[in-house]
Amino acid sequence: MSIFDELQQAIIDGKAPVAKEVTERALGEGVRPAELFPNAIVPAMNEVGRRMRDCEFFIPEVLIAARAARAATDILRPLLVGDEEVRSAGTVVCGTVKGDLHDIGKNIVAMMLESAGFQIVDLGVDVPPEKVVAAVREHGANVVAMSALLTTTMVNMKAVIDALAAAGLRDQVKVMVGGAPVTESWAQSIGADGYGKDASAAVETARSLVAAA
Amino acid sequence: MTMTSRERVEKTLNHTEPDRVAIDLGATNVTGMHVRTVYLLRQALRLDAPGTPVKVIEPVQMLGEIKPDLLEAMGGDVVTVMGAGTTFGFKSEGWKEGSAFDSTPLLVPAGFNTIPEANGDLLMYPEGDRTAAASARMPSGGFYFDSIVRQPPLDESKLRVEDNLEEFAVISDEEAAHFARESERLFKKTSKAVMLNFSGLSLGNIARVPGPALRNPKGIRDIEEWYISLSMRRDFVQRIFERQTEINLASLEKLHQAVGNNAHVIYWTGTDFGAQSGPFVSPKMYRDLFMPFHKQINGWIHQHTPWKTFIHSCGSVWALLEDFIAAGFDILNPVQISAADMDPCKLKERFGDRVVFWGGGVDTQRVLPFGTEDEVRSQVRENLRAFAKGGGYVFNAVHNIQALVPVPNVIAMYKTAQEFSAN
Repeated sequence: MSIFDELQQAIIDGKAPVAKEVTERALGEGVRPAELFPNAIVPAMNEVGRRMRDCEFFIPEVLIAARAARAATDILRPLLVGDEEVRSAGTVVCGTVKGDLHDIGKNIVAMMLESAGFQIVDLGVDVPPEKVVAAVREHGANVVAMSALLTTTMVNMKAVIDALAAAGLRDQVKVMVGGAPVTESWAQSIGADGYGKDASAAVETARSLVAAA
Repeated sequence: MTMTSRERVEKTLNHTEPDRVAIDLGATNVTGMHVRTVYLLRQALRLDAPGTPVKVIEPVQMLGEIKPDLLEAMGGDVVTVMGAGTTFGFKSEGWKEGSAFDSTPLLVPAGFNTIPEANGDLLMYPEGDRTAAASARMPSGGFYFDSIVRQPPLDESKLRVEDNLEEFAVISDEEAAHFARESERLFKKTSKAVMLNFSGLSLGNIARVPGPALRNPKGIRDIEEWYISLSMRRDFVQRIFERQTEINLASLEKLHQAVGNNAHVIYWTGTDFGAQSGPFVSPKMYRDLFMPFHKQINGWIHQHTPWKTFIHSCGSVWALLEDFIAAGFDILNPVQISAADMDPCKLKERFGDRVVFWGGGVDTQRVLPFGTEDEVRSQVRENLRAFAKGGGYVFNAVHNIQALVPVPNVIAMYKTAQEFSAN
């Protein structure tokens, strides 16, 4: 088993200490940090996404795998700064909308996006539109990804889109939305560019939005 | 011939078709209504003078009291005995005027002591004690409270089952007396079916894992950490459930002594096993970790009482429903028809003769909050055609009716259900 396969397996199995140890060992053996993403972390999280879609993995297994992936990415991220050969898949500003404190789904999406090579600016929960606008400006984001769990707060997604338009940023950034009550038709009705039915679909949506930009 | 509400519900629970579909409004803290909507509904129906406050009977979800006049207006067939305590550890008593999310006039319990933050968020305190660390937050612009996670640093070697059991205790004599008194009053003085709202027995209910009633929660209190623990610390969680089940059985024994035959249904678990697109946990995890305890508790209830057992689990639970039935649940709520694999016709066809569906009357994620009155009426009729035939169905929305739901839609929903006849 190659060291890439070892790391991939550790993430899928949700073994955070093993993922950490393998990552450190790989670096010790001279593997470049950037190589571990396409060869281990991205395929691992793709597999986690597949298992989630096919009802082999459920919330506990996904959270455990995400934690193992984080054990690797926490080591790797600081080492990637300044690596000219690293090409980010794009920068995503994400958060749960104003009035809503639910973040498990948003956290899983953020982790899946990060593992797929996106730079994530996670604004947390209860995020007011102006904070999204400021983050898009500061980080030159390609995508804004907003989450909501409640029918009383999903309406605030439109407020984010309106705020981006008012700030003159709407043409520079794609907006995708998701969360339990959110549907594709809702996404269209508020003028979002994309919709993520679940975490792995969200990664596909983010990729296609960046490619189309 | 018109039946009494009680006859209607009894027939329904025995899978026989009543004169009209049985209706629930507010019989549990998962089939009620946000206090803001209750206020506006009461105003629209001219049940109160403008400005008349409504009691907050459940302070986490901010549910409003469904008084007999409103229950009657909506055609409700079930009355309820709620516990005297709240999720925050203070009691539903000592009513005082209060306010929260907007200017809706409220009556709140004496322990409902909030402190606003500079950004407009409201903080809530365990046992109403503002000197303790806040245990819940209502964000500015929000309509109810979510727990503040106060997870102490986790040291695997020092994890103790007792720490995750601090909030569970056998019901007090005072609480048992309350259930005895109220169930007897409702059973004798009304002709409605009686619900026991007793959801404090839930195993692993994520709404309670953070310990909103506790001043210094210990053990596993972080939500993600809890879900992870279901798999990674499975034996530890199992030991919590074992101990909690012992406590639950002792509580049930006391409850049964107090209530006897003066009740029809007990709602005892509100742990969510479904998410929007599928089960939260694998069917295997349900079978291994939860089902043995559910079986034990339902078995005790069926052996000793005439009560039907009611499980509330949001989300897509098609893949778990066979196991819920095998675990001894008679009633499924809220029947989240907007989740994956939760088609009313298919549910009724596959499980309708073995489980009572309680809820699922209208899609509360789309149609009820955002649809027109006509869309509400049309969907209610469609769902009733699927669910009501042959009995085994109690009408309710999917979960509590939330704030911001248009009142005309609520009226249209209940009126359509009252007028619907399956024949």
